[in-house]
Amino acid sequence: MSAPIDISGLRKTFGSTVALDSLDLTVKAGEIHGFLGPNGSGKSTTIRVLLGLLRADGGTVRLLGGRPWEDAPALHRRLAYVPGDVSLWPNLTGGEAIDLLGRARGGIDEGRRAELLERFDLDPSKKGRTYSKGNRQKVALVAALASDVELLLLDEPTSGLDPLMERQFNEVISENRREGQSVLLSSHILTEVEALCDHVSIIKAGRVVESGTLAQLRHLTRTQVAATLRTPPPADFAALAGVHDLHVVGTRLTCQVDASGLSELLVRLAALGVDTLSSSPPTLEELFLRHYDERV
Amino acid sequence: MNATVAQTRRATDTASRYAATGLLIRLALRQSRALYVTWIAALTLTTVATVLAYERVVPPGANAELTMAALGGNPTMRAMLGPPFDLMNPGGFTMWRVGTFVAAALAWMAAFGVIRATRAEEEDGRLELLRAGAVGRRAPLTAAVLVAAAACLCTGVFIAVSLTAAAPPARSALAVGLGIALVGLVGAGIGAVTAQVSESARGARGLASAALGAAYLMRAVADGSAEASGLRPLAWLSPLEWAALARPYAAERWWVLVLPLALAVSLVWLGFRLESVRDHGAGLRSAGQGPARGAAGLSGVVGLAVRLHRSSLIGWAAGVAVFAVAMGSLSDAFSTMVSDLPELAEIFRRMGGGAQDLREAFYVAMLGLIVIVLAMLGVQVLGTLRREEERGHAELLLSTAVPRRGLALSHIVPAIAAPTVLMAICGALLGLNEALGAGSVEPMGRVAWAGLVLTPGVWVCVGVAMVLHGWLPQHAGLAWALVGWSLFVAWIGAVLGLPDWLRSATPFAALPTLPVESMDWIAVLLHTALAVVFVAVGLAGYRRRNIGGG
Ligand SMILES: Nc1ncnc2c1ncn2[C@@H]1O[C@H](COP(=O)(O)OP(=O)(O)OP(=O)(O)O)[C@@H](O)[C@H]1O
Ligand SMILES: [Mg+2]
Repeated sequence: MSAPIDISGLRKTFGSTVALDSLDLTVKAGEIHGFLGPNGSGKSTTIRVLLGLLRADGGTVRLLGGRPWEDAPALHRRLAYVPGDVSLWPNLTGGEAIDLLGRARGGIDEGRRAELLERFDLDPSKKGRTYSKGNRQKVALVAALASDVELLLLDEPTSGLDPLMERQFNEVISENRREGQSVLLSSHILTEVEALCDHVSIIKAGRVVESGTLAQLRHLTRTQVAATLRTPPPADFAALAGVHDLHVVGTRLTCQVDASGLSELLVRLAALGVDTLSSSPPTLEELFLRHYDERV
Repeated sequence: MNATVAQTRRATDTASRYAATGLLIRLALRQSRALYVTWIAALTLTTVATVLAYERVVPPGANAELTMAALGGNPTMRAMLGPPFDLMNPGGFTMWRVGTFVAAALAWMAAFGVIRATRAEEEDGRLELLRAGAVGRRAPLTAAVLVAAAACLCTGVFIAVSLTAAAPPARSALAVGLGIALVGLVGAGIGAVTAQVSESARGARGLASAALGAAYLMRAVADGSAEASGLRPLAWLSPLEWAALARPYAAERWWVLVLPLALAVSLVWLGFRLESVRDHGAGLRSAGQGPARGAAGLSGVVGLAVRLHRSSLIGWAAGVAVFAVAMGSLSDAFSTMVSDLPELAEIFRRMGGGAQDLREAFYVAMLGLIVIVLAMLGVQVLGTLRREEERGHAELLLSTAVPRRGLALSHIVPAIAAPTVLMAICGALLGLNEALGAGSVEPMGRVAWAGLVLTPGVWVCVGVAMVLHGWLPQHAGLAWALVGWSLFVAWIGAVLGLPDWLRSATPFAALPTLPVESMDWIAVLLHTALAVVFVAVGLAGYRRRNIGGG
C-alpha cells in the first residue's frame, strides 16, 4: 500500500513570495506525523495544497494514491480536516455544523458523534457565533473525528483547547492510531507532538530541514554534560571534536557535545578521573529552537 | 467644592467616552474613502448633468408650459420622482427630476457607511482590538456618524455650488443642497440605529434598506395617488420627501428642513442609547439555543444554501410584494389618455416614460425599476459565495466531498432563480389592481410576462458577478458598478441625452419593454445565452483558482 501522503519537490508561490520551495514530505500508513516549523514557514500552505484548495506550482503530490487537485471531492471522502482557526456559520448551531460537515463528507458515525460530544464536553445546541474559541475548535474536531476516515489533516487543531480537552484529544488520536488511521499534525505544542507523533518533520522557509523519529532527531543534537573532575582539564579540551560551549571553573566542567563526539569526550573525562557526572538529553524545546533559529 | 469635583468627574467621564474619536475618524476615512468619494462624485454629477440637460429636454416655445404641466401631472412621474413645484426653472426641474433620488441614494450611502464602520468592524472582531486600547465607548459610533455626515455635507455643498452657477439664485441652490444633505443625515441616523439592533452587518443593512425602501414607497404612493385622494398628505411622513417639500426654487419653505435635522439628531441619539444598553458584539436580542441535530435536509451545500438565504429572501419577497401591490393600486388613478400634443409624446420619450398609454407607461417604468433592484438581489445572493470563502467556510466545506462546482452552483442557482420568481410575482401583483377592476386575470399575466422578459438582464448581472468571482475575486465588488450604472442609465440616461451606444451599454437596455415595444425573442435569447456563457466562464475560473488565497 502506498503512503497516504507523498510529496516531492512541491513548490508554491504567491506572487513574489515563495511559500513552499521544493518541499518533500512522506506520511506512511498508520503513522502520526508531526509537522513543525516557525510561523509563516508553509505548514498551512502545504495542508491547503493537500486539500486541493491551492494549486501546486511544481513538484508531485500524491494523496491517498490520488491527485489532490484533480480528484478532490472523491479523496475527501476518505479524509477529514481541522483548521486552526475555525469560523462557524453564525446562524447554525454547533450540532448542525457537525452534521452538515459530516454528511457532506459522506456520512457520520452516530455513536462516535455522541461519544465525542460527551468526551469533549460540548453543547451542540448553541449558535455558531456564541461559542467560545475553544468550543468552536471542538465543533470542528468532533466533525472531523466522528467520520470514519483513513487520514486526518490537522492544522494546529488544539489551539484554544484547555489542558483537559487537550488530553482528551491526545487519547482520541492515540485510539484512532490503533485502528490504523494516519495523521498529519501541524502543531506548535511540543508536548503534544512528543506524546503523539511517531515521526516529525521540521519545515523552515518552505523546505523540510529535518525529518525523522524523535529519537533520531535527538540523536542529531547535543547532550548537555556537567562533570566534577579530579584534575583540571588541559587547555586543548575545547578543541575536541563535537564539543561546544565549554566552561571550566577549576575542576568543574560543563559543555555541550554532539552525539558523534560523546564517546570520545567520555573517554577523555574518564582519563582525568570523574567525581560526579551528569548528562541530560536536550529538551524538546532546545531541539526545536535550534532548528527554528535562523542563525543555527 | 463637592460640586466642582463632581463636575470635573463628569467632564472627564464624557471625555473618556469619546477618547480616540479622532483616530477612529482617520481609520474610517482610510477604509471607506474610496467608497465615499465614488458616491459623492456620482451624486454630484447626476445633479449637474441634469441641470445642464434642461435646455435640451425642455424645448423653448409656446407649448413648453403645457408640456411641463402634463409631465408634472403624470402620475408615473410623480410616483417615481416626487411632486413637481416649478418645472419652468432649470433648478426646480432638477430638484424634481433627480433631487429626491439623489437624497435617497445619499441616505442609503450614509446608512451603509455607518454600518460598515461600526457593526461590520465589530462583527469581524477588529473593533474589539481597538476598544481594548484607550478608545472611548462612544468613539466608534461617533466617528462613523461624523464621517458619514461630512460626506453628506460635502455632497450638499457641491450640489449647492454647482446649482448656484447653473441655476441661480444661490438661495434656492442652497435649499437643494441643504435638503439633500439633511436627508442624507437621516440615513446616517438610520444606520446608527440599525447597527445596534442587528448583530450582523448583513442584518443591519437589511433593516436600513427596508426602512429606506418603506420611506420611498410611502412617498411614491402618496405622490402617485390622485390629487383629491386622502393619501397625498402621507408624503409628509416620508423623510426622503422632505428635501422636495422644502420647495426649492418655488418659494422655499425653510422650516421643512428642520424635520430631517430633528429626525437625524433623534435617530443618532437613539443609536447611542441602544449602544449603551447592549453588549459589545451583541444585538438587542441575545441569541438563543438551537437544535442539537441538523435537520435531515441540512446534508450538503443545497441545505446550507437554503439556511443561508432563507431569511433574507423572505424579507426581500415581502418587501417587493408590498411595493408591487402598493404601486399597482395607483393604476386606478390613470385613465387611458392619448395626448394630441406631439411635444408631449416626444418629451415622454425623452423622459424615459415611453408609452402614451399612461397605465402601460407606468408598468414599464415600475418594471424597469424593480428589475434593477432585483439585479441587486441577484448580485447580493451570489456575493455569499465570496463571503463564505473569506470567512473560511468554503475551505471547511471543500475539505469534505463537496465539489467546487456544487458549492458555486448552490449560490448561483438562487442568485438566478430568486430574482426571476420575484419578478414574476411582482409583475402579477402590479397588475392585481387592474385585474380586480377588469374582473380578469389577464392583466396580471400580461404584466408578469413583461417583467419576466426583462429578467435575462438580471441573469447577465449575476453572470458578470460570477466571472469576477471566478477570475478576479478581489474585484468581485465591480459587479455592483454594473448594477449601479444600469440604475443611473434607467433613471436619467434619457434626460441626459447620453449617446445611444452608452445608453444601450447596460444588461437591460436591449431587452424589449412590453407592451410598448414588441417582443424581441432574439434579444431575450441572446441575453440568456450571454448569461449562460458568463456563468460557465466564471465557474471554469472558480474551479481552477486557489481558494482562500490570491
Ligand atoms: N494567500 C496568500 N497570499 C500571499 N501569501 C501567502 C498566502 N498564504 C500564505 N502566504 C505566505 O506563505 C507563507 C507560508 O504561510 P503559511 O500560512 O503556510 O505558514 P504556517 O507555517 O502555517 O505559519 P503559522 O505557524 O503561523 O500558521 C507565509 O510567508 C505567508 O505570508
Ligand atoms: Mg498555519
